[in-house]
Amino acid sequence: MADPKTLYQAEPADARIVEPLDMMTLIYQRRSGITHMVGEPVPQMLEAMGEDAVDAATLAARLAVSFDLGGQDDAVTLITERLEELAELGLVERVTDA
Amino acid sequence: MSGDTPEPNDPIQMPTRRRALMLGAAGVATVVSVRPALAQTAGSVLNCEIPVPGPHGTGMNIDATGNLVAPDTPGSFVATGQKFSGEEVKRALSGQTLPGTTYEQSQAYVNYIRRLQAGQSGFTCFASLQMPR
Amino acid sequence: MHEFRVQVGPAAFRIGSAWRAPIDQLAHLYRDYPQPDFTDFTVRLEPTTWLRRWLRPSVAIGGDYMLPDAAPLPLAQGLLAAEMAMNLQMALGWRRHLLLHASAVERDGRVLVMTGQSGSGKSTLSALLGSEGWRFLGDEFVLLDPVTGNVVPFPRLISLKNEAIAAMQSAQPDARFGPLLAGTPKGDIRHVVPPADAIAQMGQGGAPALLLFPRYGYPGAVREVAPGETFMRLTQASTNYVALGEAGFITLTRFVKSVPSRAIDYQSGDEAIALVEKLWERLA
Repeated sequence: MADPKTLYQAEPADARIVEPLDMMTLIYQRRSGITHMVGEPVPQMLEAMGEDAVDAATLAARLAVSFDLGGQDDAVTLITERLEELAELGLVERVTDA
Repeated sequence: MSGDTPEPNDPIQMPTRRRALMLGAAGVATVVSVRPALAQTAGSVLNCEIPVPGPHGTGMNIDATGNLVAPDTPGSFVATGQKFSGEEVKRALSGQTLPGTTYEQSQAYVNYIRRLQAGQSGFTCFASLQMPR
Repeated sequence: MHEFRVQVGPAAFRIGSAWRAPIDQLAHLYRDYPQPDFTDFTVRLEPTTWLRRWLRPSVAIGGDYMLPDAAPLPLAQGLLAAEMAMNLQMALGWRRHLLLHASAVERDGRVLVMTGQSGSGKSTLSALLGSEGWRFLGDEFVLLDPVTGNVVPFPRLISLKNEAIAAMQSAQPDARFGPLLAGTPKGDIRHVVPPADAIAQMGQGGAPALLLFPRYGYPGAVREVAPGETFMRLTQASTNYVALGEAGFITLTRFVKSVPSRAIDYQSGDEAIALVEKLWERLA
């Protein structure tokens, strides 16, 4: 189980090309040359993260400003899982404490 | 609900609702990454074959799970490097028996093929038989 | 070593062969194509062993790009070996365009692209349409220009399999056919030379206007295919999407966002052509 205090940071926006389609969004990651086909909530998460290092709870709060996330505890758990998935793929990085 | 303001031109003055954001399900990936399709398409333009076993297994037998084992291993199957075509292996993957083999022998051979690694003879051919997701 | 050179669309091939017969067949069928001085790819038809040059001659395919597990073919199928080898060079080595495993025909500057697995009928449909008021652009590979997004012609010999051979012979009895190659790994195969306009205009492409996923052998039906599904299926139908990197991504996303896509089922050439004409009028 990931540490809830882990910080995650997305690559700068120009490190990828984002193309929204009908049922999915395409993300081309320039560094790796890999194309990822992603569904909600990934594009929204990346946009809400911007260039900041955030933990899951902070990101959930940001998303809740524009979206209805349903039950709050569940949301943070699911967002943590999504962040871990993105970290495994290299779309975000886990930031170790300075 | 603080923070929600009515649309200026909306005559009914209802507060705007945030739309629901799907967060995905626990344990289910939301990202599919594109892997090179080279093996599939190149395989369809060239017929190919898979030897059982390949040169790296010359003189060895194959056990029921597809591993290479010493020739005197009980329950293992003799394999002479016989070559099967991509079509024959494709049919074997969906349940038919490889030509010239018994049912158990065919199962063992198919398991051997499934275990092939990059660099071993027949790997590219086998990779090209995989159906795209 | 016997040799033959041919230019097809933007690619130039040199085929070397230990035997004369396949070269003679190629020279005969490709006689109206340009013969280039400089070539992009070299292909070699070689005996598998010294003895197999004469005794039950067996052709191994060599060339700039090779697959290690390729099965040899008997000399009688040498023409097929040469065609497969040229496909392999393109599939593994061509980088100037995004390659899709598809067929294409053109009308009024706009292009119909058809993609699917072997047996879907994309080759046969492109051959039939190519002699019914459309210009044939290719039956194995569709080349997409990364800068313009246009389809670039690549009209090699059309490869017909099994029942499609008879269908084409009755539809186009005056077309030029290669030898019947019976009992190949893919069944009976016969090559047919593309129509004269396809060869004469192979330097001129067109903008893609409709994408079809044909499926032969099912009652007539049409289904819309959403861009997301189209994108996913086309990445699997491209041999060089990943190798082209960012240019591949941009070319393919532009294609799926601008070209409508339908899956069609059909049971006869006539039925397919009727479906094509109807969809073209409505969507292209």
